[in-house]
Amino acid sequence: MNFNDTDIINIIIAGTAGQGVITLKRLIEFAAQKAGINRCFGTEHHGLAQREGAIVSHTRYQKKLNKNERKNIQSPLISYGDADLYICIEPVETLRHGLFASNKTTFAINSYSIPGIMITAGLEEYPSLKMIEKVLRQYSDEIYFLNATELSLNSFKSNQFVNIILLGLAITTNKLPFIEIEDYEEVIKERLREPENNIKALHLGLENGRKIIGY
Amino acid sequence: MIKDTRFTDQHGTVLMLGNEAIVRGSLEAGVSYVAQYPGTPTSDIGETFQTIIGQEPIFHEALIHHWAINEAVASSECAGAAWTGCKVLNPMKHVGLNVASDALSVIALNGPNPGAMVIVVGADPGSLGSHQEQNERFYTWMFHFPCFEPHTPQECKDFTKLAFELSEKYDTVFEIRTSTRSAHSRGYVDLEPLKNGLAKGKFIRNIPKFNSLPPHAISNHIRLYERIEAIRSIIPTLNINKIYPGKNSVGIITSGMSFGYSIEALNQLGIDDVPILKLGMIYPLNYEEITKFIRNLKKVIIIEELEPFLEVKIAEIAQKFKIDIEIFGQEYFPKYNEYSTGLVANRLANLFGIESNDKIHNAIELYNSYKNTIPSRFPTFCAGCPERATLYTILKATNNLENTVVCGDIGCFVMSFFPPQQCSDLIICMSGGLSAAIGMSEKTDQKIIALIGDSTFLHTGMAPLTEAANYDSNILLFVFENNWTAMTGHQPVLGLTEKRLSIEKICNAVGVSWVKVEDSYNPKQLIKTINEGLNTKGFKVIIVKRECALQAHRWRQTKIKELTQKGNKVQEISYYIGGCQLCYECARILSCPALRKVRIDNLEEMQIDQERCIKCGVCYEICPNGAIRKSIINLFEEEVPFREL
Repeated sequence: MNFNDTDIINIIIAGTAGQGVITLKRLIEFAAQKAGINRCFGTEHHGLAQREGAIVSHTRYQKKLNKNERKNIQSPLISYGDADLYICIEPVETLRHGLFASNKTTFAINSYSIPGIMITAGLEEYPSLKMIEKVLRQYSDEIYFLNATELSLNSFKSNQFVNIILLGLAITTNKLPFIEIEDYEEVIKERLREPENNIKALHLGLENGRKIIGY
Repeated sequence: MIKDTRFTDQHGTVLMLGNEAIVRGSLEAGVSYVAQYPGTPTSDIGETFQTIIGQEPIFHEALIHHWAINEAVASSECAGAAWTGCKVLNPMKHVGLNVASDALSVIALNGPNPGAMVIVVGADPGSLGSHQEQNERFYTWMFHFPCFEPHTPQECKDFTKLAFELSEKYDTVFEIRTSTRSAHSRGYVDLEPLKNGLAKGKFIRNIPKFNSLPPHAISNHIRLYERIEAIRSIIPTLNINKIYPGKNSVGIITSGMSFGYSIEALNQLGIDDVPILKLGMIYPLNYEEITKFIRNLKKVIIIEELEPFLEVKIAEIAQKFKIDIEIFGQEYFPKYNEYSTGLVANRLANLFGIESNDKIHNAIELYNSYKNTIPSRFPTFCAGCPERATLYTILKATNNLENTVVCGDIGCFVMSFFPPQQCSDLIICMSGGLSAAIGMSEKTDQKIIALIGDSTFLHTGMAPLTEAANYDSNILLFVFENNWTAMTGHQPVLGLTEKRLSIEKICNAVGVSWVKVEDSYNPKQLIKTINEGLNTKGFKVIIVKRECALQAHRWRQTKIKELTQKGNKVQEISYYIGGCQLCYECARILSCPALRKVRIDNLEEMQIDQERCIKCGVCYEICPNGAIRKSIINLFEEEVPFREL
């Protein structure tokens, strides 16, 4: 899909506490600023975030503004069914925030699951990835799973790079237009700890993304 | 990493959260005193001030930020500073305003001159980080706080700066009203130059102004009306209320985040000719501005979250100026929960008598078809949390709360009502649990347990503590001493974090004779003490001491890293499971998230997630089958325990 300069790009980032949802959101926003994007507006979930809860962020950007302010981004929240891209660091969280998906949505999902307290206690069941995929197929066929946690653990002996690996996958879907890979790299250098490993993680995600998506 | 210069640069365009933009706006206005009790969504205003005061020498001379003991104290200390000539900022959450209201009612009468005072009130429609979602906007009528409601981070900054200017000019307390959504949204902000704050001022005696008792209570009240009318008259010159023109005979009046949802909802519906009045200032309203906008309309729709606030005032103005117009508001929009573009679009479609957008309709329908199959993910206590360990001992000592009432309170343990523990029967407000317990203990013979956190204990807990001691109420009170205001992001507990204060001595001093200090990580001993407490008549206090697990784990990991970097060997402790009987004691009653049920080759068993486990050892202590095992590598090397409080 090709985007026009005045199109609004809508991204949902979801996961659980401590997975780097807010870091990833801010990284995209900083990169958008570097790329000369005219308007960014997004919202973060603070407060209960650290306590194993479900976390979601919305971020939206628009390369060029319309003369008519009514057609530009005015809300940090995405409208129902209006998301172009989901970046989900935990699979079942894709469904929890599914209200914003539609047939134009692409899903980039970490396939490594983190069960909530009711599942660890054996009081509820975690759905299989196949079941999650089956639900998402009702929206669109652009569903890409990558076990970013395993990749992060294998490559860096730490799960701290999952969000950035997944960003790499998300970039290869072409649903983050107008921002160049160099913009992300610069922001990573400026703002993240262990920038070299994070840039490696980004490229790991890009390579795997290209393989999965097939170009 | 590059240095964050967003609060020191004199110009430029930067990305900021609404709260950060409020800090920036205050600095551009020359703020020099800030005091607040932490509360979502305004805690990070204080965090930001603390960070910049710590890091930037330019703020060292004049700028002070206090974490206050509670909101009423914070407001009064701000007023005190303002009365020496300073510009002061006083942030609080919506329910914090209830606590501060006693002080603010008088400060508003007196006025902040010779300084200026701006309060920031963080509302929470949708109860995203609070125990309720009250519409605190009505306080602006009651106390006459002129109130700005920003929509973007840019407005957060601009309105804050303007509020300080007007507060100084009109001797009036101004309010910036945010919501969880606007406080935690990020966007571009164009910076303007900073202004130096006042390092030292002087209080000049003025008995009528600063003593709002009769007759000055009346004269200051009259003066407050004069100030508000003067402000009302200049609103059009401020350029903060904006009209988006349109030819439709139906118009919309809205403010803050609701504006964003409304204008995008119209866009979703393909309606682009509805005139919109976006109010930047929601109190007071300028009569001419409102009448000019509504006079030629047939209908006006008021879009605002929670109870009708603007709607009442618009109706009043329409009646006062005899304007015949239909006003649509609360009957058409829910007066609870947070709004969104999709919700507003559906309601507007109804009002305009058109079909809603297909995209929105389909999204709701498809989501509803599977939403009940999504497994829950309640927020819960972190792995190794001492509060959870204590709740476990309460459940065990009382045989799963048999004939027992647990009066809960605010703090991380508000989460205790969630399954699987469900160890809280009621919640009121800060220190409301102990107060409710006092009344309840007179009227029932059930066993009564009350819970309170250390920060809440100092916030307002000492008052009911003194009363319970006075009446020797038959209550067993738990004070969770974890050393931090943990829920809002680990602000210090004044006096306690610095080790100058003893909760035990305070309990003794108010006359509690039965006070025990126990360790949450020693559940067997704690259960014994709870049983002793429940079998003793009168008021009893157990202080459960253990540092917040997040902080404790962080401290211990740093310590281990330091030691190993020096080449020292330390004990490496881990817990694992062998011979599990699947009794679920650890998973459902202790319910630590580091324990997880797994299925391997069709056999179910519990496992310990080593990434999450902080090695507190509580599950090891409580496993009835001895199936949780402890392994120590480097047994004869140095042990690194958690730090003692």
